[in-house]
Amino acid sequence: MHHPFIKQLARMSFMALLVIGLCTTAQADLLQQIKDSGKMTVGTSADYPPYESVDADGQFVGFDMDLIREIGKRMGVQVIIKDMGFDTLITALQAKKIDAVIAAMQYSPERDKKVDFSNVYRKISDAFLVKADSSIVLEKPADIAAYKVAAQTGTIQEKWMLTNLVDAGKMKKNQAFSYERVDNAAMDVAAGRVDVLFIQSDPAEKLAKKSGLKIALISKETIVAGQCIAIPEGEKALKAELDKLIAEMQADGSIQKITDKYGLK
Amino acid sequence: MARGWAIFSNQADRTVIHHDATPRRRSAWPARRDKRAILWWLLMLEAFRFILPGLGITVSVTLIALGLGLALGIVMGMCRAYGGMVLRSIAGVYSILVRSLPVVVIIFILFFVIAEMVDLSPFFSGAIALGVASGAYQCEIFRGAIHAVPNSQMVAARAIGMSRFKAATTIILPQAVRLALPAWANEVTLVLKDSSLVYVIGVPEIMRRAQYVSASTMEPFAAFGAAALMYLLLTLLAGRLLEKIEARMRLDI
Repeated sequence: MHHPFIKQLARMSFMALLVIGLCTTAQADLLQQIKDSGKMTVGTSADYPPYESVDADGQFVGFDMDLIREIGKRMGVQVIIKDMGFDTLITALQAKKIDAVIAAMQYSPERDKKVDFSNVYRKISDAFLVKADSSIVLEKPADIAAYKVAAQTGTIQEKWMLTNLVDAGKMKKNQAFSYERVDNAAMDVAAGRVDVLFIQSDPAEKLAKKSGLKIALISKETIVAGQCIAIPEGEKALKAELDKLIAEMQADGSIQKITDKYGLK
Repeated sequence: MARGWAIFSNQADRTVIHHDATPRRRSAWPARRDKRAILWWLLMLEAFRFILPGLGITVSVTLIALGLGLALGIVMGMCRAYGGMVLRSIAGVYSILVRSLPVVVIIFILFFVIAEMVDLSPFFSGAIALGVASGAYQCEIFRGAIHAVPNSQMVAARAIGMSRFKAATTIILPQAVRLALPAWANEVTLVLKDSSLVYVIGVPEIMRRAQYVSASTMEPFAAFGAAALMYLLLTLLAGRLLEKIEARMRLDI
């Protein structure tokens, strides 16, 4: 520690840490910031209809988009949608590039370590898709262990398959396939390279119709929680506000209205 | 009011086939396969129309990245070829470090780490990250070109009393830039395609808009086909332009 260069280095890194520390702690309450600026920046990944997608005019549309705009209206702020890759969303939230994430994202203990979640705004089911002329019969989710199964990378479905089937020794490792996007996975099921596609049930119906697949099973057994809005860690006031508004919208039927608008169940 | 993807929906599907089935059409397009081909091209056209605004963004990101990369590349290339110990090591570390990192990682570093301190929009974070990445490759292009200019020119310039710096910038560099053109034209096409990576931080360029179309319509071939066509057009255009410049600036040493 006596070498001047090392001392210099130590001093500089201490300063750097201090600056970073100040940057992260000096933030005021996020809810107050949102209300003061009149703007809430919400991240999504607009490639997942019917929750979030882009219409022919380039506008963000879908269940989540309508929901968050309604929440913004009730908070009296303007909602600005920022689109990015799904895997980038949590990092962007941690870096405070965005104030919240609404992207059909489910609560999970792993994600909860990095960010906080609102209460569930939509309960969901999972679906298992097979080729339209397939003879595969599924009684319960665990039955997929006998087949080649596709899921989307980074999703709860992929995690469930890997934890409860592959790690538990019920399914061979080389039978689990991960795809970056569900439309690619659906094409491979239709082509016969994989047998079953494991996804959320709402996008499943449209995907099945378009890609020549059918739904073999719909189940709630694999669901950990449901869809929640993700917010930066420790923003208690914002969470309270969102929870209050979600409860309010569930009570007055406005969430049901959006659900019906997109033909969801 | 939000406009849906009319042409991709089942209803439009039926309309087109019905339209094709009129007698006049029947004689011109008798086979079922042809009708499907027409529909597919219509889908592609609609996808092309939607992706078009992304073209401007792709071109802007590419131009900013190329400009920044050119400046960095020439300076760093000169440092690597003629710099002293310090300058040469800085340029060497930059070139090796940046070339060993995937471009996506550089984009992430710039957007999530650097942009914490300086307020940068995703567009500029992405463009600058690509510029920094391209600069490292261009540095190597220019270093090679500088070495391709015979050393006797440097010796001659020094003999008539020019300083090393003046000789390097006014005698060697203008020739090196001309020699670098063919390799540089190749770099242009690479940066053009690397520009698709900025979608991860939310810049809606060609590829991201193609992903929107693919996700909303479940027609990946039409969506990515349209994107491919755009990249092809851009590459051909850039290629022709640079070929012209190359022909005018040709140099035989």
